Amino acid sequence: MTAPRGDTSRAAGPNRDTLGARMREHSTFYLMVAPFFVLFGLFGLAPIVAAFWIGFTDWDGLNPARFVGLDNYAAIVTDPLFGKAVANTIYIWIGSTVVTVGAAFVLAYLINEYVMWGRSFLRMVFLLPLLAAPAVIAIIMSVLFSTNAGLVNAFLSFVTGDRVTYEWLASTGWIKPIIILMIAWRFLGFHLLLFVAGLQSIPRELYDAARVDGAGGWQVFARVTFPLMLPIIFFSATSSTVGAFQLFDEPFVLTNGSGGTDQAAEVLGTMLYRTAFNDFRFGLASALSWVMFALIAVFTIVNSRLLRVRV
Amino acid sequence: MSTTGAPVARRVITAWIYLIVLVFVLPFYWMVVLATHDNDSIYSFPPPLLPGGSLGANWSRLTEVVEVVRAMGNSILVASAHTVLVLLLSSLVGFGFSRFRSAPGARWMWRVVLATIFIPGLVGLIPWYVLIARLGWIDTLWPLIIPGAANGFAVFWMRQIITQTVPVDLYDAARIDGASDWRTYWTVVLPLIRPGLGALGIWTFMATWTAFQIPLIVLNSQENFTLPLALANLNTLYGQDTAAVMLGSVISVLPIFVAFLLAAKQFMAGLTAGALKG
Repeated sequence: MTAPRGDTSRAAGPNRDTLGARMREHSTFYLMVAPFFVLFGLFGLAPIVAAFWIGFTDWDGLNPARFVGLDNYAAIVTDPLFGKAVANTIYIWIGSTVVTVGAAFVLAYLINEYVMWGRSFLRMVFLLPLLAAPAVIAIIMSVLFSTNAGLVNAFLSFVTGDRVTYEWLASTGWIKPIIILMIAWRFLGFHLLLFVAGLQSIPRELYDAARVDGAGGWQVFARVTFPLMLPIIFFSATSSTVGAFQLFDEPFVLTNGSGGTDQAAEVLGTMLYRTAFNDFRFGLASALSWVMFALIAVFTIVNSRLLRVRV
Repeated sequence: MSTTGAPVARRVITAWIYLIVLVFVLPFYWMVVLATHDNDSIYSFPPPLLPGGSLGANWSRLTEVVEVVRAMGNSILVASAHTVLVLLLSSLVGFGFSRFRSAPGARWMWRVVLATIFIPGLVGLIPWYVLIARLGWIDTLWPLIIPGAANGFAVFWMRQIITQTVPVDLYDAARIDGASDWRTYWTVVLPLIRPGLGALGIWTFMATWTAFQIPLIVLNSQENFTLPLALANLNTLYGQDTAAVMLGSVISVLPIFVAFLLAAKQFMAGLTAGALKG
């Protein structure tokens, strides 16, 4: 369909005339919302579309790009480092989602049901790590787990009676749990806040009605509380998923940009960064960014299936 | 207040939760402890558990290797400018969508705004970088201020707030008084939605203050670094000077903690807005 110009539409009939007139009448509206669409088009949409094209080329950002078809995608799926990055990302995604959402839910439930004073204080205090930059949190954690000055080793030394100088950050087995711990620490308060708000929105009468019907404590939780909280749990899990697949700051800073011993902390986000800004393989990196996009979409759908949310 | 649980159980659980809180904030406390000790006592065993007296010495070593005051200036500049821009743009666009629902195309344009919320930012990263380079913005603060100003979530939120707080009668009254829609936005809408602007503002400020990846990609010279970048750089180059690194971390966290304590209510309103009002 060709876009009708103002004057042609006027000639074409009463309907088009009204559309043109109505658009002119609402010119203020288009002017007001234009900044969003101009900025988003330029800095949001255009790069995403361009990334799709660049993904089929071999390009270093300076010399002319060379069309290579699906080579970049083939190179990605056959690269053992990609497999490792995907595995690490999924490890951290599942670990951080389960730990964060689970701990936040239990804490929110306990705070809502049992805590006697200082509830708003609690909600605030758990939010503190969210205010610190992830890069700074990674620095704090790296000191916490450092070999000679780390509080963790000091605590273990105190408990065991021997001086423990374990190299946590160099170990391939512990680096991912430490990253998960970091994410959980940082985001616990966010999920907690959502869950507390959700729990408080459940009407008390529902619980009373369930009790009158003879339901015990556990049954009330399983039949009333949990089902009503599912949409919020879904929101939590989804935001955790989107965050986990774009994870970058924590592993990057924790390993000083190296990916860790034996690339044990290499995730998709750090692999993308390395491909683009260390190796200057813009085509390959663009393809990788689209692969990440697809993975995020897939796992968001998986989330909604797992939690059986009917939106 | 809820009534489940025997009084004893409630007391025990409350105590446990406050114990968890202690462990939870321990890293921050420990950061302060290390920032006030010299490196010898940090690396000795057992480690110090109370604040020490080396704050001044750590500060002079820190400022020798990293321009921490300058980095903080950059962070304040970037976060303030970006926040003001997001507030103005999203409230104006939100007002447009709230006020003119019958404009042709308004409905699908709104759907586009909503769709932008769910697009992960990383997807266009490489062309975005190329664009920034073509604009001559590499190693400047502009890419941290301008591009992110079109924020779908902020627009969505502002439209909700404007629709909820501004009665339609006010628009009619303003029109009768001869005020243009722009004037109405500036003199009627903006003052009414001040609490919403406060919540969005503090949230945006914090997100900008803590950003790391984009500054890492676009900034090259130390003098332009924002605080997280300056600190990560410090940690890479002078990581063995734990005291100085921890002092830098304290400095980066402190302003935002203070802001949070002053405006906790707005902040929490901002966090729940996405999940519960959607």
